[in-house]
Amino acid sequence: MNELLARSLEASTVFLLAALGELVNQRSGILNVGLEGLMLFGGTAAFLVAQSTGSYPAGLAAGIAVGGLLGWIHGLFSIRLRGDQVVSGMGLWILSFGLTTYLGSPHTGPLGLPRFPALVGLSPFVYCGTLLVAAVWFVLSRTSLGLAIRSVGESPAAAAASGVNVAGIRYLCVVFGGTLAGLAGAAYTLSYNPVWNYNFLMGWGFVSLALVFFSMWNPWVLLGGSVLFGAMWQLSLSPEYVLPGVLSRYVWRTVPFGVTIAILTVISTPWFRTRWGLAKPQALGVPYTD
Amino acid sequence: MRIGAYRLSVERAEAPSPPRVALGALLAVALALLLASVLFWTPESGPWTAYRIAFGYAFANPSGLGATVHRAVYLLLCTLAFLIPLRGGLWNIGLPGQVYAGALAAFAVPFWAGARELGSGTAGGVALLSMPLAAALAGASLGALVGLLRAKLAVNEILVTMMLNSVMFWLVSDFIKEGGAFMSATAEGESFTLPEAFRPPLPLGLPPSAFLGLAAAVVVDFVFSRAAAGYRVRTFGLNPQAARYAGIDPVRVSLWVFVLGGAFSGLAGYHYFAAVPGLYKIPTNYGYYGDLSFYGIICALIARGSAVGAVPMALLFAGLSVGGRFAQGALRLPFGVDYAILGLLMTTFVFSHLVDRYRVVWRRTAPAPTSAPPRPEGAR
Amino acid sequence: MTPELEHRTPPPVLAARGISKSFPGVRALDRVDLEVAEGEVHAVLGQNGAGKTTLMNILFGLIHPDEGEVYLRGRRVRFRSPHDALASGIGMVHQTRRLVPAHTVLENLVLGHPRARGLLDLRRARQELEALCARYGVHVDLGARVWQLSEGEKQWVEILKALYAGVRILILDEPTSALTPPEVQALLRALRALVDQDGVTVVLVTHKLPVVRAVARTVTVLRAGRVAARLSVSDTTDHELVQHMVGQEVTLPTVQAPDHRGPVVLEVEDLSAYNDKGVLSLRGVSLTVHEGEIVGVAGVTGNGQEELAQVLAGLRPAVSGRVRLLGRDVTHLPTLDRWRLGLGYVPAERTEVASVAALSLVENTGLNYHFDPEFCPRGMLDRARLERLTRQILATFRVKAPHPYVRAQHLSGGNLQKLVLGRVLSRQPRLLVAHLPTQGLDVEAASFVRAQLLEAKARGAAVLLISEDLDEIFAVSDRVGALYEGRFVALVPRNEADPETVGAWMAGSLGRRA
Repeated sequence: MNELLARSLEASTVFLLAALGELVNQRSGILNVGLEGLMLFGGTAAFLVAQSTGSYPAGLAAGIAVGGLLGWIHGLFSIRLRGDQVVSGMGLWILSFGLTTYLGSPHTGPLGLPRFPALVGLSPFVYCGTLLVAAVWFVLSRTSLGLAIRSVGESPAAAAASGVNVAGIRYLCVVFGGTLAGLAGAAYTLSYNPVWNYNFLMGWGFVSLALVFFSMWNPWVLLGGSVLFGAMWQLSLSPEYVLPGVLSRYVWRTVPFGVTIAILTVISTPWFRTRWGLAKPQALGVPYTD
Repeated sequence: MRIGAYRLSVERAEAPSPPRVALGALLAVALALLLASVLFWTPESGPWTAYRIAFGYAFANPSGLGATVHRAVYLLLCTLAFLIPLRGGLWNIGLPGQVYAGALAAFAVPFWAGARELGSGTAGGVALLSMPLAAALAGASLGALVGLLRAKLAVNEILVTMMLNSVMFWLVSDFIKEGGAFMSATAEGESFTLPEAFRPPLPLGLPPSAFLGLAAAVVVDFVFSRAAAGYRVRTFGLNPQAARYAGIDPVRVSLWVFVLGGAFSGLAGYHYFAAVPGLYKIPTNYGYYGDLSFYGIICALIARGSAVGAVPMALLFAGLSVGGRFAQGALRLPFGVDYAILGLLMTTFVFSHLVDRYRVVWRRTAPAPTSAPPRPEGAR
Repeated sequence: MTPELEHRTPPPVLAARGISKSFPGVRALDRVDLEVAEGEVHAVLGQNGAGKTTLMNILFGLIHPDEGEVYLRGRRVRFRSPHDALASGIGMVHQTRRLVPAHTVLENLVLGHPRARGLLDLRRARQELEALCARYGVHVDLGARVWQLSEGEKQWVEILKALYAGVRILILDEPTSALTPPEVQALLRALRALVDQDGVTVVLVTHKLPVVRAVARTVTVLRAGRVAARLSVSDTTDHELVQHMVGQEVTLPTVQAPDHRGPVVLEVEDLSAYNDKGVLSLRGVSLTVHEGEIVGVAGVTGNGQEELAQVLAGLRPAVSGRVRLLGRDVTHLPTLDRWRLGLGYVPAERTEVASVAALSLVENTGLNYHFDPEFCPRGMLDRARLERLTRQILATFRVKAPHPYVRAQHLSGGNLQKLVLGRVLSRQPRLLVAHLPTQGLDVEAASFVRAQLLEAKARGAAVLLISEDLDEIFAVSDRVGALYEGRFVALVPRNEADPETVGAWMAGSLGRRA
């Protein structure tokens, strides 16, 4: 049971890291629907580098760097070139999906390193994720940088007229989002499930994206949502803890996805929107032309 | 950049002309192939050997050509499934899920007719016809769910379709693995094989779904260019507010584009798993076929929303993936050549977008005479 | 520029020399000079489209000139962005609000403040701002969200923001356009205090002569991207200013619409509706519009006009009340059926709502005809017929467009508006709802649009004109009214009210009833 709890928290952390980066991203007005792609690429890079060097730090660095680079590319397309952010995000996802399959498949199988070190029984990523939530909350709500980020996401024209460098802030956020997505991927392939398989995420990134919408763009709510989803995910993998022998294990695997659709539906109802919906950054997904 | 009295600058082009768009599409494909050749570069054979082998198999070898054409039809149906919602401004990335739904529904018909136990069963025209119908209906209902959520509550369709992909992926496993309803009596992890009686005829070597797909491409283009219904969908896709102003019902548009899109995906599932020679079952690696449907996204995007324009694209990409798999075996390349090409195509497509959105301009920096009317304030 | 003027004024604190700026296809500014003396109110006067806003955006660093230089206290400056301008003590209050609606007033005031680095010290900022508000006699709730404020309050927030940032030169772009007459008076008083007591320099962009007269010392008149004149306000007459603004005499088409009021076409009873934020912003409105009559509805933005227009068009559900069109209850009828019944709707947002930028003009005409069996026999669009109609509209409504297949995005605002009006009127609507039909148009285009409204009336249409321009309302309406906080303050025949009274109604007071 303890093991299940630890695994749940670790799964939560993967969701949390990716979603937290995307949350900062979206607070600045940039939508990256290719989150899953960034995670895939970051995770694959971390896995390959860690395997070839035998070093976890090197793998982590590679994952973060690749995630940041892809985030920057998304920024280039959506900020500098004012492209359609959905097109760019989908492009990044399919690019990552395709290329990682090709690059990673010769290395299909376990990582082959000693298990990622644990800290008091939990993966260090769990602590790291929680600290990052606090840090992101603090920066967003208590600093001038945070005010600038929120303003750029709400009304870039107003921010620009106040002398805020809209493009600069957005690049900062989109690269930050990318590094966290890369880190999330690395947490998956190095620690949570250190076995490379083609398209190993199977929807984790899209669930993380949905989590950002559920969180009302609040890091603490996001933390709660991630913990819930991590637990649900882990239970869907081992349904014998809840209802042994009921339904096949494959049907259980669909549960987190079905629940995601259900929650998405609830938060989209007019009832919910008029009460909480104002949290959505007004300029989300809209290219800014000064 | 300044050269003499002229300045070189990159500007946004307002409206790309059709030749520019076509050029952009061709450039995107060429660039992707060029980039992919780097991946195929092995010490023994240069990059071109791989393409020679791939295209040779895909288009010149009889069995390769057959596989290419069947796959092209599959990709074309997936393209239509993505393209119709896209013209309405909506992203249907639920192609794999709808394909799986179609496949399961198609196999439900012989299942109920007792084909799994008997290994044969008798099938009249009704059963033959009801298989594609059931497939289309299953895909359409999955699409209808997405369309309704989008139309009534503005639920993000990308997330919903993606979630449904995962749901359907695991449901297929449930049906064909570990004693699932459709599991083959002899092999673990795949569905029962379709008895002869349930396989559709192959006039000209092609299943009826192929002709249906081609005809549908023509009809879809015609509807979008001429019919009021197509006009309404395009208007909604370009400016939903203006569409509402004009009395176009957003609920109906969102619902119908997803119903139609889902139906085409469902048909694609029927086509590939139940209608083309060589398979006639849902295989263990059905996930690979589901992933292939993403080529439909690329086809539709590169063809810029033209269904007929997507036909050569579908043929090319089908050839690439069929031939790529073959070359991969012949040259002992890593698995996933076709995935790599898919990824590269998407990237070069995104950049081809820029080719026709931006242009390089030479401009005189000396003052020009003022003949143009003043620009209204607030218009910029 | 007269030599005497130069002697009398101190050296310019802000100057622009030879500024030119082109946008694709348009030369917005052509070698424009501007000199602003320290501690004065300098008006920049001109019609819509004269290039005033473009010039101000250049002074503020938002856009960059193709040619020309900007001098601050005699030193050449090159602003890369508003950040540089603010750092040099230049602030700007834009015509459209540049505030973050979802944030509090305090957060908006602090955003971009030169001292705002690292941690936010909102407590200290609050104290300083309260002192500043007290100094200018402004009452704004610093904790309120900006979207909850009135237009006048928002404008004050922007001015406060500039002052809080310590600007010495304040650019105000059309500051009176969204204000009620009493608010305008208060603003002008405060501007005088700002200049006289604190020595702030104000550049005031406007197209209203009384505003210039009230506060400005010197005025630069722009016309079609060029400086038409630079004058001392006390030495000039209104007539002279108008001539510089307009250039040659404009002959405005005048239409005499005979009054023959027919039966009731539109009947609205106790109508209420929510706005996008879920606030009840239309609260029990009743009115009737008769055949051959124009009813003019005045009001400051955000008092329920938009909601009224949208409910009438079927684009927003009514919470309660009833709408009858030609005797039929249409309260819950979809938009399409209202078009079929004879509704014609010209929305305020011509680019966002009334047209599709990426479609050709012919296909844009389809917006009003895609449901018409004559234009869509058997569900197929009759392109030839649509094209013929479009050509006809382009000719009758004097729309400047190269050909009917050009994309709508290439039309200027005035031409697009004429096209939209032409499309709607070509249906010969029984009821025409026109919301801000002349907003942002130049004098000629605006008067053309008004003439078309009168012609529609002459043809027997019932016209509901929703406008913020009192002159416009009085020029064409048979009955006039004003909406304030979602209700009619009053609705009376035109000869029973004057613009001043209606101006008071717009501010929510009954004023002097005639």
